[in-house]
Amino acid sequence: MMKKIILIFGMITIAFVSMAQQMTNTFIFSKMDIAPQHTLWDGNNTMLMGFTPLMGSPIDIPGPTLRYTEGDSVELQLRNMSQGASHTIHLHGLDVDQWNDGVPHLSWEVGHNETKSYYFKAPHPGTYLYHCHFTSSLHVQAGMYGLLIVDAQNPSETWDGGYAFHKEYAWMTSELDTVWHTDSIINAVHDTTTHLRLLPDYNPQYFLVNGRSEHQLLDTNVAAITAKANETILLRLANIGYYGNKFHFPMHLNARIISSDGRPLPSIEISDTLEVLPGERYQVLLQSTIEILDSISVDYFNLNTQDIENTQMVPINISGFISSVEELNGESYIYPNPTNGKLNLVNVKGEINIYDSFGKLIFERTLNTNEENIDVSHLSTGVYFIKTTNKNFKFSKL
Amino acid sequence: MELRKLLKMNKLLLGFTFGVLFAFNSFSTTVNQSLYIVADSLLTVDSTKVPYITFNETLTYNQSNPIINLVQGDTLDLWIYNTDSLMHDFVIKGISSVISIPANDSAFLQTVFTAKGSYIYHDPSDFPKNTYLGLAGMIVVKNHPFSCFYWNIKEHNSDWNNELFNGNPVNWNQYDPKYFTINSVSNPNINGDTLARITGQVGENLFLYITNTGLSIHSMHFHGYHATIKYSSRNASHLNREKDTFPIYPMETIVLKITPDKEGEYPIHDHNLAAVTGNNMYPNGMFSTILITP
Repeated sequence: MMKKIILIFGMITIAFVSMAQQMTNTFIFSKMDIAPQHTLWDGNNTMLMGFTPLMGSPIDIPGPTLRYTEGDSVELQLRNMSQGASHTIHLHGLDVDQWNDGVPHLSWEVGHNETKSYYFKAPHPGTYLYHCHFTSSLHVQAGMYGLLIVDAQNPSETWDGGYAFHKEYAWMTSELDTVWHTDSIINAVHDTTTHLRLLPDYNPQYFLVNGRSEHQLLDTNVAAITAKANETILLRLANIGYYGNKFHFPMHLNARIISSDGRPLPSIEISDTLEVLPGERYQVLLQSTIEILDSISVDYFNLNTQDIENTQMVPINISGFISSVEELNGESYIYPNPTNGKLNLVNVKGEINIYDSFGKLIFERTLNTNEENIDVSHLSTGVYFIKTTNKNFKFSKL
Repeated sequence: MELRKLLKMNKLLLGFTFGVLFAFNSFSTTVNQSLYIVADSLLTVDSTKVPYITFNETLTYNQSNPIINLVQGDTLDLWIYNTDSLMHDFVIKGISSVISIPANDSAFLQTVFTAKGSYIYHDPSDFPKNTYLGLAGMIVVKNHPFSCFYWNIKEHNSDWNNELFNGNPVNWNQYDPKYFTINSVSNPNINGDTLARITGQVGENLFLYITNTGLSIHSMHFHGYHATIKYSSRNASHLNREKDTFPIYPMETIVLKITPDKEGEYPIHDHNLAAVTGNNMYPNGMFSTILITP
């Protein structure tokens, strides 16, 4: 009887998992502007080559965000409506097989007026990107890129057993050199007899977050962050440019760097600055306990001279406080870890017990507020375990 | 039951054999190495010849600096011969102190390498001039039996090499390289270098030792596989991070472990895509492929 119950339960579980891990079909177009239409912050327009979700959609940078759930089997169709050049989709960071990797000379390309499909699985939740890998130095600068996000099965967590968050933002950084977007470069006749391509020097004039800069970043639909105090914000960062980025987070945001390139970091990093180099992605948790009106600044540094050539400021408005119901969804965590003095416990309420590595109870206390700290400076160097009513932690005393 | 015992004994025997082999492999020795400073030229991907100077294992010039392979605990007995008409210095960054070698003279350096990793030897005099002009190579210290590959990555501006060899100054703050190399060659020649071209089998542990002896920051992206950081001279806290893109700052080193989970041929390239060009020609820059067989 028991075996039958287990079997039925197992089958139900498999059915649910199968339903969650769907076959997903996405269709996008690759296109080429026939005239400058993308408006830059100073009112100038520039031409783009890019991906669009619909045939009639204008090209924007970044292209449409592709979003899947962990475990999904995906068919991604590309219809090339460009004016001659072939295109591909490279699924940057997804580690797909060679045939679906989107590198022309190692697999295939999508010619003008052709439609072809990429097939892949989305195994690791995280932040990725996609871009054309055909004459990639030119086509990426031309605008052929976008974000690819893989959600965990529980979309309010970063990954299974990871961090819960209330809201999320995704910033894709890049630069734009208008010389590369002139008709003679971006729209040069595609020579099918050679894969060699002479390109101009790269000297960008525009430094972008989600394809926009300067006052355009005030728009909450572009990049600006709004949240309530104590809300946990997941910020996804991806650099598809040819410059390095250095992000500066206001101290009150308590930035915690939790993952990179689609994988959790072995230990989270608490820092108010973060460098993101071309091709890298990071996920950062932000949470302020107070109301603030500030901005996150992004430096763009030249990789050859290491000079900062531009800084963009993205506004952040933390206003109001999370309600007690919402607060219940807030994740609990400890920092810093390792520590040699104070240990902060966030969203940990009730009785806590600390044990040493031999299982001996060495500390107990009841916590009543959202964030409290305990002094562990008197403990010997080593690993300790915290048992709370709903979650357990491990920390190292230095 | 008997079969289980046999299997257990087999496992023990295998473990013992591996242990003995590893211990044997771990015996530290003294490695004798000579480096000759020889000036000549760098042949670039478009056949431009650029004045260049390198360390060489013999008096015969090679545009790629030698990779010195050591086992953790080894002693390196190193003779450096300066065949140039100018004085040069020598240092192993973070390991030894600077020694000066007058023109047509030699120097001896003995160093014990206790920590595994990837190190840069170079001429620090008038920094970064002599390092930039080619006098910078790699020392690898390891303690494992797995396949290893080596990338000494660098960029070059041919006009600057000409100016510097003619004794003229350059403005280091306006560096604008035109050629991007791995072990002194660019795509499509990198895959012809058996030290650089990563090959292996599914499930095999492969190690890539990278030094950046150039002046630019590079951001190397792996298609097909994530790799694990096993050593980073700049960010010790990044150890064991699993990533697909790896920034490497000037005069820094990194060691990566790759365990391929599938067969295939995949690119590894600088994701500063301006560095995938050679004298502005795409794709003649930092671009290679990894080839994995079943």
